[in-house]
Amino acid sequence: MAQASAQLLFDESGQPFIVMREQENQKRITGVEAVKSHILAARAVANTLRTSLGPRGLDKMLVSPDGDVTITNDGATIMEKMDVQHHVAKLMVELSKSQDHEIGDGTTGVVVLAGALLEESEKLIDRGIHPIKIADGFDLACKKALETLDSISDRFPVENRERLVETAQTSLGSKIVNRSIRQFAEIAVDAVLSVADIESKDVNFEMIKMEGKVGGRLEDTILVKGIVIDKTMSHPQMPKEIKNAKVAILTCPFEPPKPKTKHKLDITSTEDFQALRDYERQTFETMIKQVKDSGATLAICQWGFDDEANHLLQANDLPAVRWVGGPEIELLAIATNARIVPRFAELSEAKLGTAGLVREITFGAAKDRMLSIEECPNNKAVTVFVRGGNKMIIDEAKRALHDALCVIRNLVRDNRIVYGGGSAELAAAIQVAKEADRIDGIEQYAFRAFADALESIPMALAENSGLAPIEALSDLKAKQIETGNSFLGIDAVFAGTNDMKEQKVIETLLSKREQISLATQVVRMILKIDDVRVPDDEKMGGY
Amino acid sequence: MMRPPIILLKDGTENKQGKGQIISNINACQIVADSIRTTLGPRGLDKLIVDSKGATTISNDGATILKLLDIVFPAASTMVDIARSQDAEVGDGTTSVVVLAAEILKQMKPFVEDGVHPQLLIRAIGKACEKALKYLADLEIKISGAGELREMLVKCAATTLSSKLVSQERQFFANMVVDAVNTLDVNLPLDMIGIKKVNGGNLNESRLIKGVAFQKAFSYAGFEMQPKKYSNVKIALLNVELELKAEKDNAEMRLTNVTDFQAVVDAEWNILYDKLQKIHDSGANVVLSKLPIGDVATQWFADRDMFCAGRIPQDDLDRLMAACGGSVLTTVSQIDDSVLGKCGKFYEQQVGSERYNFFEDCSKAQACTLLLRGGAEQFIEETERSLHDAIMIVRRAKKNDSIVAGGGAIEMELSRLVREFAREIEGKDQAFWMAYAQAFEVIPRQLCQNAGLDALDILNKLRHRHAQNEKWAGIDIHREAVGDNLAACVWEPSIVKRNAITAATEAACLVLSIDQTVKNVRTPSGGAMPGLPGQ
Repeated sequence: MAQASAQLLFDESGQPFIVMREQENQKRITGVEAVKSHILAARAVANTLRTSLGPRGLDKMLVSPDGDVTITNDGATIMEKMDVQHHVAKLMVELSKSQDHEIGDGTTGVVVLAGALLEESEKLIDRGIHPIKIADGFDLACKKALETLDSISDRFPVENRERLVETAQTSLGSKIVNRSIRQFAEIAVDAVLSVADIESKDVNFEMIKMEGKVGGRLEDTILVKGIVIDKTMSHPQMPKEIKNAKVAILTCPFEPPKPKTKHKLDITSTEDFQALRDYERQTFETMIKQVKDSGATLAICQWGFDDEANHLLQANDLPAVRWVGGPEIELLAIATNARIVPRFAELSEAKLGTAGLVREITFGAAKDRMLSIEECPNNKAVTVFVRGGNKMIIDEAKRALHDALCVIRNLVRDNRIVYGGGSAELAAAIQVAKEADRIDGIEQYAFRAFADALESIPMALAENSGLAPIEALSDLKAKQIETGNSFLGIDAVFAGTNDMKEQKVIETLLSKREQISLATQVVRMILKIDDVRVPDDEKMGGY
Repeated sequence: MMRPPIILLKDGTENKQGKGQIISNINACQIVADSIRTTLGPRGLDKLIVDSKGATTISNDGATILKLLDIVFPAASTMVDIARSQDAEVGDGTTSVVVLAAEILKQMKPFVEDGVHPQLLIRAIGKACEKALKYLADLEIKISGAGELREMLVKCAATTLSSKLVSQERQFFANMVVDAVNTLDVNLPLDMIGIKKVNGGNLNESRLIKGVAFQKAFSYAGFEMQPKKYSNVKIALLNVELELKAEKDNAEMRLTNVTDFQAVVDAEWNILYDKLQKIHDSGANVVLSKLPIGDVATQWFADRDMFCAGRIPQDDLDRLMAACGGSVLTTVSQIDDSVLGKCGKFYEQQVGSERYNFFEDCSKAQACTLLLRGGAEQFIEETERSLHDAIMIVRRAKKNDSIVAGGGAIEMELSRLVREFAREIEGKDQAFWMAYAQAFEVIPRQLCQNAGLDALDILNKLRHRHAQNEKWAGIDIHREAVGDNLAACVWEPSIVKRNAITAATEAACLVLSIDQTVKNVRTPSGGAMPGLPGQ
């Protein structure tokens, strides 16, 4: 093995000498050996995800060290929870994370593609081709594939809500929620459309809040145009429903103001004590008066207030909510057009927000209640309220919705699309393979390998759907070449047609482009490493 | 008669001396060079190093790798030092300097073994180095004219980047780097180029912002209500905490009267409100502070449609000051229009999963920001290092506008010239000079080896071409043949080579001049306390 070279060295007189600190504890792999071991590690990761691809992809169950169970088929989530140790496998994790951050969808596909590319490059390395040449060839092939994607892409009518819903359905198709797919798709579309800034093509996800509550069915999930907060009125006797509420949003506590500087109040006599009591009561009263005077019918407070204040509020007929978190306060302020008020003295009518309906919702037999603020003047903040049988389902539904939201957002950003079901990959593969014959030099081999790797996506789709993968793929490829129709893909849901345009399986061009270029990038990075130094766990006494 | 042994050094001290020591030092340097040798050139491969804490670094930069290797062998650490000095001085060529130094030592080793006095060697290679530098000065080509200068800079940057991970996009990045350096003022301060990294996205989505960009700072409630877009922005740069805050820790108030209580609270609020009002009155619409801006202030600004961000890192603030004018204030009492920074456009935008604040069309425009995108974290980090190298090269080349051809061309030519000169030297110095000349050939040879080419064949072709006076013949890696690298635009600033030759020669001299190492025993840590008898 090549790794012996880094270990002990002897000088001319036979004495060992040490050049690097703790070099005896380091594992070093160099040359082809290193590249191959990396490819192996990365492929192992890719293989884990392979079965999660597509509408018939299966879920993975992951148990964390503290016993938390996650069930998901979202690539990025699986990768994150797998907690991989190997340094190269970590790169694959980052790869899917990066796709998640940028696009939010297609996190499984990108890893599978990178795995396939590495698998192909291993064969080329065995033939003695320099890794960088392979990487160069892949880069060229990647450019060609992206060109092909551009040329087969379609413009998408973003104004058409129905079409958007269909797209969201593609993304949701592979997730746990596909039982009520239509409903979830509509929720996702409406949520994005209400917060999107069509002009600057920007969608601020912080304006979409997701709340989940165990109980009920997935079908009970709703989109609230407004805010749902997991809080109740501070006093049980306060009204449960307020119409046309005027909301005062306060970030100061209902208690006598205290200076921030350390202070001490010397009380020397009973009168003084009495005065203090009076002062406190007075402050409460002025506070409540100030709120009342401004015309507010509901006070929402970031901090708490003690029982005395609570009682006074109730007595003065002023419904209030306490301990509302910072981000929620912010969303509320935006939705109701209110200004956040840091001091009671600054309250005025102009700073109040309005909401058409504020009500407490109760759930089932449990005493769970939440406060929903609806019919707000500003539709820029919405809440998706997810229901489901257990926490895992809700979490998975949230993740699925997040993916769908991302897809819609990407369409708002860039309205070009390609068709799914592996059709786009296949079309790109055919073009890349065609181009390969025109290239002189060793890159030709890398080109062909790239085309083969692209085919692994429809192949995995077919496999996961229970089709005979090779048969289905070769059939499809022949059809695509024959008809020149790039919309033909794997019929994973047995809808009876291979035409993805007809099946309305749509993916954004942005996401596909990103997948291919990200995977190529990472593969290049892995291929370019020829020397690895890792602290040797066995010798360090680990494991 | 018995003489008592003389104990000079503490027991356990390593003490090596003589010829054996020099040779063992040379060997150690060789090993260091071996570990980074394969990173040289466009076909050089990267090294992946995992440190004991599990942090992974993937790099192709000689200085970075050597730093991570943690070398303890005393003589070998000179190799690390020259790589670092090259990095600090010119920023690129860190691998070549180490490889060159090791090769000079390797060429000198047989002489040391044969018993030549090291001082003779040192004197000879010192002189040979001087001569080589003189030849280099004769060979270098001056570039003049603004258009050509830019072209030269782009080519130099592209040559540097060709050996890095981003080599496919080198034209794109080379132009970007040159544009970035061109926005700077005459002193070319490096820290006025901000490099921001955002995971995700594609390499060629990286962009140059002529102005300043930084990540959205931590924000309090109310931030989302602030406008995120302005034109004709007036920026107040502060070093003031805008928060309700306690006076110094040791301050304490004693209140004797309940009515005072309210007064104190009001006073505290008024101090803050006064500050806020003054900022508002100055006409600023963007408020940035190095220190935190609290929730009260955030909401106050939101109320008046102003944008604010606290906890801005110092270097971003400095860049903003360079770009937009204005000055950082430590008090708001004197704030007025004249101290505000001004820029044409401010907006917030989502980049990957982060939100970024952009300041563009700045009034003074002497700072810029490179926003890098890329798949994995290590990928962006390596891109940053590569761009750093390229920026350094462009900076040096801009001040020192002469170039030479890379790809082994200049080394082969210097080797030939030094060798020719050596033939006229009398005495054994001639052999040393010849060996020194031979050492230069290591660069083209290593380039060939890394690319998987037949080094012997290519090197002979090169020697042949150079003997026929084709002084810019070098290796064309992409065609895998010998070609004219000046025409092929493989250009490097001559200062890189000059510095590399000087540093390598000096390091070689240093290693040769050591004939004894005394290494003290390391005090055992955690073991028995010294000075406690009986343990």
